Amino acid sequence: MNIRIAFASLLAASALATSVSAQTLNVVTAGDTNMVDYINDYLGPKFEEAHPGVTVRAVGTGPGDGGSQAIFEKINAQKDKGVWDVDVAVVHQRMAGQMVQDGLLANYRDGLATSKLVTRETAENALGVNVSGYVMPMFHSQIAIAYNPDVIATPPQSYEELAKWVKENPGKFGYNGITGGMAGVGFVFGWMYAFSDMADEIRNGPWVDGAADKWTPALASLRDFNQSVVMTPGNAGTLDAMNRGEIAMGPVWMDMFYTWVADGRLNPNLKLMILSPGMPGQPMYYAVPAKAAQADLAKEFIAFATSPAVQAEGIVRRFNWFPGIDPQNVKSELTDAEWNRLFADVAPETLAERGWSMPQAKYFAAILEAYEKNVAK
Amino acid sequence: MSNLSATLRSAGSAMGLAIAMGLVAFVVFGPLANLVIWAFAEQWFYPNQWPTRWGFEFWGRVFRPRAGAWESLWNSVSIAVATVGLSMALSVPAGYALARLALPARSLIMLIFLLPQAFPSLPIFVNIAAIFYNFGLNGTLFGVVLVHSLPGLVYAVWIATAAFSAVDRSMEEAARNLGAGPLRTFRDITLPQAFPGLMAASIFVFLDSIDEFTGTYFVGAPDIATLPILMFNASMGGNYQIAAITALILLIPSVGFMLVIERFLKADVLSRIGR
Amino acid sequence: MTATTSADARQTPPDPVPGSASRRLSGMLPGLLLVAPALTAIGLLYAAPLVRSLVTAFVGADGTFTFANLEKALEFYGADILFSILVTLASLALIAATSIAIAGYLTLGQSRWAVPLLRWMYRWPLFIPFIVAGQTARSFLARNGMLNTLLADAGVLDAAAAQSLLDWRGLVLTFAWKQVPFVTLLLAGAMASLDRSTIEAARNLGASRLRCLFEIVLPQVRPQLFVALVLSLVTLLSVLSVPVMLISGNPTMMTAMMAHRVTYYGDYAVANALGLFSYLLTAAAAWAYLRMSLKEKANP
Repeated sequence: MNIRIAFASLLAASALATSVSAQTLNVVTAGDTNMVDYINDYLGPKFEEAHPGVTVRAVGTGPGDGGSQAIFEKINAQKDKGVWDVDVAVVHQRMAGQMVQDGLLANYRDGLATSKLVTRETAENALGVNVSGYVMPMFHSQIAIAYNPDVIATPPQSYEELAKWVKENPGKFGYNGITGGMAGVGFVFGWMYAFSDMADEIRNGPWVDGAADKWTPALASLRDFNQSVVMTPGNAGTLDAMNRGEIAMGPVWMDMFYTWVADGRLNPNLKLMILSPGMPGQPMYYAVPAKAAQADLAKEFIAFATSPAVQAEGIVRRFNWFPGIDPQNVKSELTDAEWNRLFADVAPETLAERGWSMPQAKYFAAILEAYEKNVAK
Repeated sequence: MSNLSATLRSAGSAMGLAIAMGLVAFVVFGPLANLVIWAFAEQWFYPNQWPTRWGFEFWGRVFRPRAGAWESLWNSVSIAVATVGLSMALSVPAGYALARLALPARSLIMLIFLLPQAFPSLPIFVNIAAIFYNFGLNGTLFGVVLVHSLPGLVYAVWIATAAFSAVDRSMEEAARNLGAGPLRTFRDITLPQAFPGLMAASIFVFLDSIDEFTGTYFVGAPDIATLPILMFNASMGGNYQIAAITALILLIPSVGFMLVIERFLKADVLSRIGR
Repeated sequence: MTATTSADARQTPPDPVPGSASRRLSGMLPGLLLVAPALTAIGLLYAAPLVRSLVTAFVGADGTFTFANLEKALEFYGADILFSILVTLASLALIAATSIAIAGYLTLGQSRWAVPLLRWMYRWPLFIPFIVAGQTARSFLARNGMLNTLLADAGVLDAAAAQSLLDWRGLVLTFAWKQVPFVTLLLAGAMASLDRSTIEAARNLGASRLRCLFEIVLPQVRPQLFVALVLSLVTLLSVLSVPVMLISGNPTMMTAMMAHRVTYYGDYAVANALGLFSYLLTAAAAWAYLRMSLKEKANP
């Protein structure tokens, strides 16, 4: 009897697997749950409406570089097969570079109707790797410091002031280290920009052998800094800790912050600011794997996702990201009030001055390893 | 006088007992109550001690068609049923042989079936995932069923062995003497007697599979989302309401089976486990 | 949930099969055939990955034998290994103490309402998945979580002085919450099958219930207690969800760092090197248990 059940359920399982028919577009995305929500709640249904018979299936692989690594492993495991089961990959910068170098992505952008609208530098260069043609920026997002003005009237404005402030106010600042998402990783990068004396090389190259040896003082001070801060579990964990009053200050993604406020999940009195000299931001990329089963549909999907109307309604209005295409094309689709909401706490000039890029790929990895070796243990 | 003090003392100890029981109740049920509160809290942020808005809004979000809760629920249940099927198909013959037939190095075989429980399983799951990559089993329902069958098999073999050794042999012999063939004897005499034990084994395997997280995380994710994976993602994404609601759904089979398991796991079987 | 091994597990010898060796072997054929599929499954799903994990821990990027992975694991995650050991030891201590108290009361308690009530209550967490326990602990034990809120409402705790318990304490409490019912179940079962007459006799001679528990009951169920604790140790060293959900930053449990190594870097070598340490830990516990039981057999 049990054998029969086993067979029946195996049959049912395989039937389920094959019923995912030719008209399914598999979108695999790294990042926090808001990435999956964006595709499930907004982009997917809209695209399906315009393409009857198509089903958009969104799969999330988790926050931070770990999420992108999972996409890489998923595709790399099928390398020798004729067709891959990922049609659209949404990845971080570092992995985009690596996947282009490994020949896992298709050069698809030139034929795209919206390719002319892209003006960001990050569309051509991902942390030192030439990715021109292989990626379309989905959006740009910026890491900032959220703080509770009821507790902190005048927040520290620079990393240096912050380090001093944290010593005087232990347990009030929190971040998520480097294992729980990019907000914490970005905060650490900002720390290195401020204290390593190598801010320019780290962001623009070139790679210097033995660079990590020069970081000892910066890492030692970070280790010391960590003694007075609260470690939070993940990007969302920092917001959650702010929410429950466990910390009064911490690095967050600006978009997540605004989304949580709009959702009623975050105290609307909280504010944002960016520390000097600068904190990193990054785009997420739309990419098409080299052997995607539905490559043409994937291109249509990406063209649709980067059209001014979708960028305005989905990216800016609903999910509070900065647009991936040139802002001029998006602004016209929004009211001034809606556009200015992106800059409610951080003025455009401050953003231009302090919104830096992530480190070059080699420095990126080297800083994380050095952190694990010197700071975390 | 002594009577009064004795009454007082017994009243005092009854009071102490009541307080102790209250503490136990708080420790056991407090965290669960916390889960229920989160499932119905719509707005809850510092410095408010309790939610400021209650309602079903997040229930609607969990079960909206595209959210994946239905798919995860379906995945979880079908994986668990298939795992039970596979584990029992393998362990019923093995259990029968271990209980009733002559075997070389029987205790060594029993030990082998215990080993997976004797060492931490996380490295095993990590390496199963690495091996499965070569066979394209990652991200498939079948791959997840295989991973769940590893702990499942261990419970199933041990409980099935105990169940078969508790079967009354004289009835089998009587059936054989009356001319029934070995298969018929097995079907009509042995199996019905062992049935409650086998049922208990199936329940254990089912529960273990429904709750399994680590193996699914390495082998199934991101393609196969089960309820525990869904809950983990919601929790790590800071969606406490969604995590709490998913957790409550996960508790239904667990608590339900906890209430009925004693009916199937009889003392005579329990006392034979491990022999 | 392996309510399985009892330490005094005795062997029921298979029916002796008369005849020569070859006839004995052919007599064993049906049994072997029936066991073979399950054994094969264990071989493929357990032995193969186990061997792979042991081998990978000692193989470098160039495919040669090396200790570099172990060294890196120690250098990067030495503190996490130590943390794991301390947390599991603390958890096992709390689990043992609580389980003895509950099982002891269930066996020796006389209250007609409290004993059944406790019997009904203590089991609940047994079937609750670790991941659910982790989720509820995460919000229950936080600084402004429900525990501290209730304590503050009751006037026991000053709200401003409230602390988050989401560190090693949270892990110990969550692990104990989840494992106490399992250990208690085995322990109470073993106590229930003891000969009650010695206990009654001691009680009649005026021994307090506490003395009965520690001097008469507990020594007789020690093997079951240790088996339950060793099985709990293995479980605690296998749980991934709870440390990931409760602990942020380092040190944390080895499991979280193994997963980190794999998910962030695809680095199976260092992950398996860490795995090796967790095997060693359980092997040490098993060895301690075997030594103890051998000693006990030597001088009963």
